Amino acid sequence: MRRLRVGVLIVLGLLLLLVPQLGGDYYVHVFALVFTNVILAASLRPSLTCGQLNIGHSAFMSVGAYASALLAKNLAVPFEVSMLCGALLAAVVGLAIGYPSLRLRGVYFAMVTVAFVEVIRLIAQLWVPLTRGMSGLSGIPKPNLLGVTLATKASQYYLALFLMLLTLLILWKLESSRLGLIWKSIGMADNLAQSLGVNIANHKLLAFMLGCFFAGVAGAFYAHFIRFLFPPEFGFLMATNILVYNYVGGRGHFAGPIVGAAFLSLLSEPFRGSAYETIFFSIAMLLTILFLPGGLITLPGKLAELRWGKSASAHSPSPAA
Amino acid sequence: MGEERIRSQSESRRVSSALLLETHGLTRHFGGLAAVNRVDLRVAEGEIVGLIGPNGAGKTTCFNLLSGFIRPTAGTIRFDGEDITRLRPHQVVKRGLVRTFQLTTLFQELTGLENVLLGLHLHSRRSLGRALFSRRRFPPDEVARSREVLEFTGLASQADQLARNLPHGHQRVLGIAMALAARPRLLLLDEPVTGMNLDESGRVMALVKTIRDRGVTVLLVEHNMKAVMGTCERIVVLNFGQTLAEGSPAEVSTNAKVIEAYLGAGLAHARG
Ligand SMILES: Nc1ncnc2c1ncn2[C@@H]1O[C@H](COP(=O)(O)OP(=O)(O)OP(=O)(O)O)[C@@H](O)[C@H]1O
Ligand SMILES: [Mg+2]
Repeated sequence: MRRLRVGVLIVLGLLLLLVPQLGGDYYVHVFALVFTNVILAASLRPSLTCGQLNIGHSAFMSVGAYASALLAKNLAVPFEVSMLCGALLAAVVGLAIGYPSLRLRGVYFAMVTVAFVEVIRLIAQLWVPLTRGMSGLSGIPKPNLLGVTLATKASQYYLALFLMLLTLLILWKLESSRLGLIWKSIGMADNLAQSLGVNIANHKLLAFMLGCFFAGVAGAFYAHFIRFLFPPEFGFLMATNILVYNYVGGRGHFAGPIVGAAFLSLLSEPFRGSAYETIFFSIAMLLTILFLPGGLITLPGKLAELRWGKSASAHSPSPAA
Repeated sequence: MGEERIRSQSESRRVSSALLLETHGLTRHFGGLAAVNRVDLRVAEGEIVGLIGPNGAGKTTCFNLLSGFIRPTAGTIRFDGEDITRLRPHQVVKRGLVRTFQLTTLFQELTGLENVLLGLHLHSRRSLGRALFSRRRFPPDEVARSREVLEFTGLASQADQLARNLPHGHQRVLGIAMALAARPRLLLLDEPVTGMNLDESGRVMALVKTIRDRGVTVLLVEHNMKAVMGTCERIVVLNFGQTLAEGSPAEVSTNAKVIEAYLGAGLAHARG
């Protein structure tokens, strides 16, 4: 089973490396956007694991995108620096939003994050001298990495792939460490976690800021890849989509948001930007809630169950010793 | 005879002022209800003290106050000489005051071992760097320490079971194991043997004594009178949030006011 999984990952990795060779610019473009969506979805997970419903992740992407774009455009800052600044700014903004509001429970925190999406959109819209407001920010330079301008779509594709893999590696290491265990514990029973000495306020804040940082990374790449920023892009629709990636993919495993983001953004590609996009995501969410509450990652298990009968996957109860 | 010894022992402890926990006029109102009302509680180092009383007497509220989960309306809490009245739960634990919960509270989707590993939280050397660059999920010494605690509480064979799949009795004991992993100086146990059969409760009470013998002071809330009388050296009785009586098990169980309070509340609770 493990060997099969490793094999699948290797084949998948090779395919991803070969996309620019096999497909045209269209696929390169689509896949680079899929990678940013994967970064966004996976970076929401730490907060979700802590039991915090963040419905405003797109706002932090927006912060990273505008910050990096403006630094590169106005001050000719190289991509690696502007991206880092954008990501750090997103994390600092996350600190400012999270510090007062993470003490709020469940739905109140969610409401703060929703409101924040609008705040960021309005700032981007109204601060015309800096952001050009509703005319959109154009003329963003292509990513200039370590002194080399990534002029071709293919090279930008590899940058996206690299950023996604690095993000996933870091998030995976953290989730599978003691820190991840603490996040899970807070999500499962925060009072018990407190009773064992966990400072839940600090850990929720750290998980949240971590997510904001990588949303900023995704935003920075997006800015220099699309090279045009328009405030409403980072609105409520994108924020809920990031959440939907997590639920449709599955909340129970690190792979959930990755699978969810890849699956949904590839499938919704034909409707991107149209009214059908919302409908598509609503239906996907509805179907998941109704038929696959554990998300897509539980699908193989469910299929095996159907095929081999219930006994195959039913775990035996612990022997009462 | 044995009773004499115990009384004089607790007397001498009080004189030598090895007072670990001390509350003054501890009070908590919920709306118009005084759930805990001017309670002066004293626990000396090394004691096993029982905190009993009919349903709704304020025992759990007392625990919530002591452990920082709720703030008192009035009164102070001192632990080892330090005023901890306004501390938050994780700060209280840091000082060595650890509580368990009346309703079984576990990390249901984690294994027994992972549950106990979380109990070690305060004693783990953790950093972002270690999380990012270590090849192991958890430091081996922490895993070893957790296994020791599981062994000590008789849960060694359940280390890899998900908490939710454990039988009720083991779930209750796992709660104690996690608290122990936090290395308490004072352990607050809220009804540790609820819903256990005679055999199981006997084993848990023996465990509580062993825990005390290893140097942990214990404050025990329990409705099972057999367990309380057989384990505690001193008992404090609460009724309607106030201290009704205090003394040795023999004194308390023959106290007219105590008997009346329990009869008033129905004998069923007293039997547990
Ligand atoms: N959060 C709360 N809000 C309002 N009232 C509360 C709250 N917690 C406890 N109470 C009330 O305070 C009183 C004492 O409750 P507490 O849980 O401390 O009793 P207890 O002695 O632990 O009882 P039991 O033996 O049934 O566990 C009860 O009347 C209860 O209804
Ligand atoms: Mg209670």
